[in-house]
Amino acid sequence: MNEKTQIQDIDRSLYDFRFDEDEGDFLDNGITPEIISEISDEKNDPDWMREFRQRSLEIYRRTPMVKWGASIEGLDVDNIVTYIRPKTRMNTDWEDVPENIKETFERLGIPQAERESLAGVGAQYDSELVYHNVREEVAQSGVVYTDLESAMHDPKYAEIIKSHFMKLVPPTDHKFAALHGAVWSGGSFVYVPKNVRLDIPLQSYFRLNAKGAGQFEHTLIILEEGSYLHFIEGCSAPKYYEAGLHAGCVELYVGKGASLRYSTIENWSKNMYNLNTKRALVEEGGKIEWVSGSFGSHVSYLYPMSILNGENASAEFTGITFAGEGQDLDTGAKIVHNAPNTSSYMNTKSLSKSGGKSTFRSSVVVNQNAEGSKSSVNCESLMLDSISRSDTVPSIVVKTDKCDVGHEAKIGRISDEAIFYLTSRGLSEEEARALIVRGFADNVSKELPLEYAVEMNNLIGLEMHGSVG
Amino acid sequence: MENTKLNILPVPTFGSLGVNFVRRDIEEYETNNKLLDIDNNTLIREDITGSSDYKINVKNNADAIVVQYVKVDGKALVDTQIKAEAGTRLKLVQIFDGSVQTVSRLNATLEDNASLELVLLVLGGNDTVCETVAALDGRCSSFKADIGYTLGSGDNLDINLIADHNGRKTDSQILVNGVLDGNASKTFKGTIDFKNGSAGSKGAEQENVLVLDEKAVNKTVPVILCAEEDVEGSHGATIGRIDDKQAFYMRSRGFDEQKLYELLARARLKQVIGAIGERQTESRIYKALDWGDYDEQE
Amino acid sequence: MSDILKITGLSVSAEDKELLHGVDLTIKEGETHVLMGHNGAGKSTLGCTIMGSPEYTVTGGSIVFDGEDITAESADKRAKRGIFLSFQNPIEIPGITLSEFLRNALEQVTGKRLKLWDFKKQLKAAMELIGMDSSYADRDLNVGFSGGEKKKAEILQLLILKPRLAILDETDSGLDVDAVKTVSKGIEEYRKSVGGTLLIITHNAKILEELKVDATHILANGRVAKEGDGNLAVKVLESGFENTLSGVER
Repeated sequence: MNEKTQIQDIDRSLYDFRFDEDEGDFLDNGITPEIISEISDEKNDPDWMREFRQRSLEIYRRTPMVKWGASIEGLDVDNIVTYIRPKTRMNTDWEDVPENIKETFERLGIPQAERESLAGVGAQYDSELVYHNVREEVAQSGVVYTDLESAMHDPKYAEIIKSHFMKLVPPTDHKFAALHGAVWSGGSFVYVPKNVRLDIPLQSYFRLNAKGAGQFEHTLIILEEGSYLHFIEGCSAPKYYEAGLHAGCVELYVGKGASLRYSTIENWSKNMYNLNTKRALVEEGGKIEWVSGSFGSHVSYLYPMSILNGENASAEFTGITFAGEGQDLDTGAKIVHNAPNTSSYMNTKSLSKSGGKSTFRSSVVVNQNAEGSKSSVNCESLMLDSISRSDTVPSIVVKTDKCDVGHEAKIGRISDEAIFYLTSRGLSEEEARALIVRGFADNVSKELPLEYAVEMNNLIGLEMHGSVG
Repeated sequence: MENTKLNILPVPTFGSLGVNFVRRDIEEYETNNKLLDIDNNTLIREDITGSSDYKINVKNNADAIVVQYVKVDGKALVDTQIKAEAGTRLKLVQIFDGSVQTVSRLNATLEDNASLELVLLVLGGNDTVCETVAALDGRCSSFKADIGYTLGSGDNLDINLIADHNGRKTDSQILVNGVLDGNASKTFKGTIDFKNGSAGSKGAEQENVLVLDEKAVNKTVPVILCAEEDVEGSHGATIGRIDDKQAFYMRSRGFDEQKLYELLARARLKQVIGAIGERQTESRIYKALDWGDYDEQE
Repeated sequence: MSDILKITGLSVSAEDKELLHGVDLTIKEGETHVLMGHNGAGKSTLGCTIMGSPEYTVTGGSIVFDGEDITAESADKRAKRGIFLSFQNPIEIPGITLSEFLRNALEQVTGKRLKLWDFKKQLKAAMELIGMDSSYADRDLNVGFSGGEKKKAEILQLLILKPRLAILDETDSGLDVDAVKTVSKGIEEYRKSVGGTLLIITHNAKILEELKVDATHILANGRVAKEGDGNLAVKVLESGFENTLSGVER
């Protein structure tokens, strides 16, 4: 009972705290070849990576800004400090993590979560991995879970990283992919060998600190034939006065008959520009499942893409986006059916309130070689007031005849009858609305592990607070 | 005007999909200007064989039908502007019968309680670009669109339909039924835009596309924009062939694969043609489609 | 009378699972047979396989209709030969009205063009006979029909298409007493006017009351467990499968 009250009374400040900036030297604000070189020096990049970064910078400079979606006028990329190095180096033992950093994580509940059941923690504090630990049983199964930078130097993984890094999301993909290629820093590398099924989820919990910091972490996950993994990416960042940029990149390779579930609850502070690129390549009979909750950020562009590249490959996307005051969240998913008998299923919900704007944007492309494929998209939007906006912009491109593609979308409001019913049972109007919104979001919450579902419900509670009148 | 941007999607999306706009040369043709002032219950049939500029004003509680049958040998631009005064009803039937290159722009403004019913049929045609904007300005104004197309090899169609819900309690219903064969290519963009202040409005759109050839390309972009809480919007789309269970059911009644899709294709178009509700035009379309005797059809 | 249907050693699989293991079944023209068995015994599988459902793969044996091997034929060819399946769960076909569907289907199976007026007359009479409201003719086939209406629509198709062999897959299940009567009436009419052959899959004694059943086949676990004359069906309905199969009678 006591605990329940605590959850209900949870304070927004839990997600907004931060410590003073003392994490070491800033580089110059702008991005020049010299800065990129400095990053390479600092990280002791292998030659191919040095070249890769410089080439990406070139591409970045000549690539025009993206033309659709939310406005990113407030973002001055040249003034964003792209690289902040915390004073601590990699730690494998929790005891060695500096006190203030540790406290931050502790308030975010990471060690507890780990103690409870999580397999490993790769928590990124600003740009570097500060704490990293994989439980022994996970390591024994042959699963590699480490930070990408050190893996790159390990002869065991160097080649596989070189042959996969930004091959799925090339720097030419869009401007921020190019930026990412030039300045990426930190992130996770996961390798699951053939037929290994990891029953406990792996988790990476990273957050931004320090003013004006950009976060460019790179996640590379490779699943060999017949393997299974659930990876949870959670983000939470404190509040800043300057705009912050997050341009991470996630590349997922799902082998034959392998299955990957990738869950994210994103709660960046509400001045962040979240321009993340996520992509999965799925081979024959493989499966990718995305579970995605977008709550934070000032502006988001987020469309995880699944390329179904082998016969009978499948993709599922379950998402929720909650846009509140001052937020412009442009989210959705992309699916490419590129082999026969592939299937995709998309189910998304979005909410807009207090002047927030949410856009659901998707594309389903069924190529000519994808005969026998099936796709079903279902999106639902809820408007909580009349000063907000909710747009739905799906696209379907079909280049074959033998397929079955369906799409459904709805937009509406909370009915007065539902509110009346619940208030007649003793709930306050605010409670009633929060309850209905939680129910609306259950497509995502029921796909999440319990502790994350609880956190998401808390976030909804926070967002709904003061939503009446 | 060379390389004019047409059929612009109200909110651009991923450029690689190629659905944000089309470009066409719109030359200044000799244009046939026509003013139709409609103030009683009437039926007007217009045969359009070249570029035309129509102004249609509907007044005085009129309840009218206007049929524009467009069959042009060369390139043509057809502009139609409709002003529907309060309480009027207009059914506009636009038939594009196998044109070479036709650009059609339809703009309608509806006052209180006015209603516009559009029946748009595209029967083949190398290159047809249709833009339709219905501004539901008046309270309780309504817009219903029944759109049908049947396209074969070499045919291209791009439709951009926008229902702007400005007034309170406005209503839009969009049904699109289409058949693609050969290497036909079609883009349908349908936008329901609930502007702030359109409280109590409803909008629904549905597109069903039967794709009969692996070389056909279908693009469907059903957009809902919403800046008002008290509205209900929905859209749906089905693309491809019927499912295995439906196919087996039909085959067990004696239809082979080809017959089965012929019947389905015809049924989908019939649904739209039936919305015309005007014998002579319907019969003319049956003839154009080579469907046999109109009176012998259901 | 000659054999209209002769099934020999029929084995059938779906999704890599064998559902029928060497079924033999013969029906003479003009007879009425009843097919019984528990849920999952393979009754519907057999019915659908005779019709040529692509959901099932024949892995052994043959189906001979009117002296010709049709094992590999598509459903539409079988329909044209005069085989009809009344579906346990009739499928909804949006966009095509019942009347339009049936008229076209009739043209397919008979190969003859039909005057709209003549067809309408025929349809009206048949709908009246089975007590189906004429408004259903102009509604999309089975779309939004209740369970009972869907079953009636199947019987309506039976009466119009006049097949030589009709397989009725639990056409009477889930219906109230009056609806079962209507369905029985339709079947009777089919027997009377067409003189066709019937294979009836049922759990219900009611539907058999007015029919002279020539033979009963009991399926269990994908095999024919017992066969007999019309009295066997009655026995099963009175004593249950177990007792009938083990020879114990009350």
